[in-house]
Amino acid sequence: MKTKVQGTAGLKQYGKRGSMMLFRDAGAWLLLLPTIIIIYFFTVRPIIIGLWYSMHEMQGFTPKMFVGFENYKRVLADTQFLKTLMNTVLYVVWSFVIGFVPPILTAILLNEMIHCSGWFKFSIYFPTIVPTVAATMLWYYMYLPDSSGLLNTVLLKLGAEPQGWLQNSVLTIPLIVIMSTWKGCGSTMILYLAALQGVNQELYEAAIIDGAGFTKRIIHITMPQIMGITILNAVRQIINVFQIMTEPLTMTGGGPDGASMSMALWGYKSAFIEFNTGTSLAIGAITFAILIVLTMFYFYAESKVD
Amino acid sequence: MKRKPKRKELGFITQVEMSKPKTKLVYWFMFAILMVISLCMIVPALWILVSGFKDTEEFLRVPPTLVPQSFHPEKIKYVWEKFDYVLYFKNTFVLAAGTILFTIVLNGLAGYVLSRLKPRGSRAVFTMIVLLMMIPGTVSMVPLYMTICDFPYLHFSMLNSYTALWIMAGANCFNILIFKSFFDSLPKAYIEAAQIDGYNNLQIFYKIIIPLSVPVIMTISILTFNASWGDFLFPYLILTDKKMYTISIFLFRNKSGSYPIDIYMIMLTLSILPPAIIFVFLQKHIIGGMTLGGIKE
Repeated sequence: MKTKVQGTAGLKQYGKRGSMMLFRDAGAWLLLLPTIIIIYFFTVRPIIIGLWYSMHEMQGFTPKMFVGFENYKRVLADTQFLKTLMNTVLYVVWSFVIGFVPPILTAILLNEMIHCSGWFKFSIYFPTIVPTVAATMLWYYMYLPDSSGLLNTVLLKLGAEPQGWLQNSVLTIPLIVIMSTWKGCGSTMILYLAALQGVNQELYEAAIIDGAGFTKRIIHITMPQIMGITILNAVRQIINVFQIMTEPLTMTGGGPDGASMSMALWGYKSAFIEFNTGTSLAIGAITFAILIVLTMFYFYAESKVD
Repeated sequence: MKRKPKRKELGFITQVEMSKPKTKLVYWFMFAILMVISLCMIVPALWILVSGFKDTEEFLRVPPTLVPQSFHPEKIKYVWEKFDYVLYFKNTFVLAAGTILFTIVLNGLAGYVLSRLKPRGSRAVFTMIVLLMMIPGTVSMVPLYMTICDFPYLHFSMLNSYTALWIMAGANCFNILIFKSFFDSLPKAYIEAAQIDGYNNLQIFYKIIIPLSVPVIMTISILTFNASWGDFLFPYLILTDKKMYTISIFLFRNKSGSYPIDIYMIMLTLSILPPAIIFVFLQKHIIGGMTLGGIKE
């Protein structure tokens, strides 16, 4: 019973309460300690030593000598640099052209459905649970250039010529983005759906009294209400797509002729295939700097939204 | 669990309007669009499923058949036995189980401390977690690999073991924030009532907090299982021993033309099966759970 410290009775035992608080705080910090240690060794420290070692000459995975910005100079002078950076920007651009509207549209439509809403949720979310490698390989076989690929099967049925798909350097990035839209649409849609379910129904009723049609209701009520999450998703999409790696790695390996090479994939290849760790770290640090700027913009957007 | 609201409490079309013919037209038009989208989502997965079961002759026929004429479920048995699927499944399950355990215990605990106990100074930890969630991982790929190969100060290697992958789950800032916002949303009245009944903090945690947290634990477990089942990059870098391969590593290492396509299709189908089964049965926890109080990131 003595643990009941309530109201003014507690104030009299201030000293005792203070030491109890200290004890309690120590206990709480103890519970938090494993997480802090793990975050330090697996998140914070890698970033710091990554930035530090990027200014070193690396031999395998051991730093040899401080060389300042030598690694950076090498990366920036590489003919691949500008092309890869442009590719990465292209991934982002295409991800907006192809992948930005579908989750919003699906969420708005799904929010209205009385019929089959269970089926819709199931089918749209299903690709999300497919393992990334399985999803990329699935689409790799759909895009197969010979006649056994699904897309070429359909084209042949329609009497058209089979296409090269991923082997066509103009199409390869948009095709990879289509695959990741297929995989990612479901989870983004859920976020929009949650936001839509928070829209106050009275707003719609008021709009009906004012004689607003469906289009007007969507433009003047639905869209402004989900604008916050839309902006946040847009910024998050930029940041995530900028780091795209597994998809081109499994589907094209960066080809044809570097047409689908992204910054992250370049960094991976330099470190784990060519064993130029220093180069890889410099590539990583450059991408890191670009993304930090974008992230700061994200926080700015978030503070505006809140 | 939050129940799905009864229809037409939500959305821009109201119940009253649904009886008008024009509204019905709009509604069914929307239904049609959604049906097209949902078919686009499901057809690719369905295609690998059915084409894997075609016989080889039909698979290679030109022009190929869209609707299969032969069906050979015994091929799945062939693939299961030809490759060491029991091992890959077991490995991936072990990886996922450990990851779930670390996620629930460490992230849950961290979320609880930050939400309820709030020791002095923990606000800084919270800010750090929010910041870290947004910090890109591009520069840390190599150093993280170095950390796992040769752990700083203690100098031991975690290559070819799941330990590093499990432990890294403890640093999942996103899950910590989900847990925190869930604990934030728990009504204070329950805890105050328990305090009045003379429960201490530990009893409150076991008797009030944990039972109330079952939905969020379920949701995060399932999402973690899916993420872990499909996790690729670090398992691929760390697990180089064939005996340790997860399903994704196996798929990646056998991707380019070592086997006939129809056999590879079955390999893909098998790899999707476990998360698909879980999804079919526990769908409510995923989709319902993500809209659960406060989990809007």
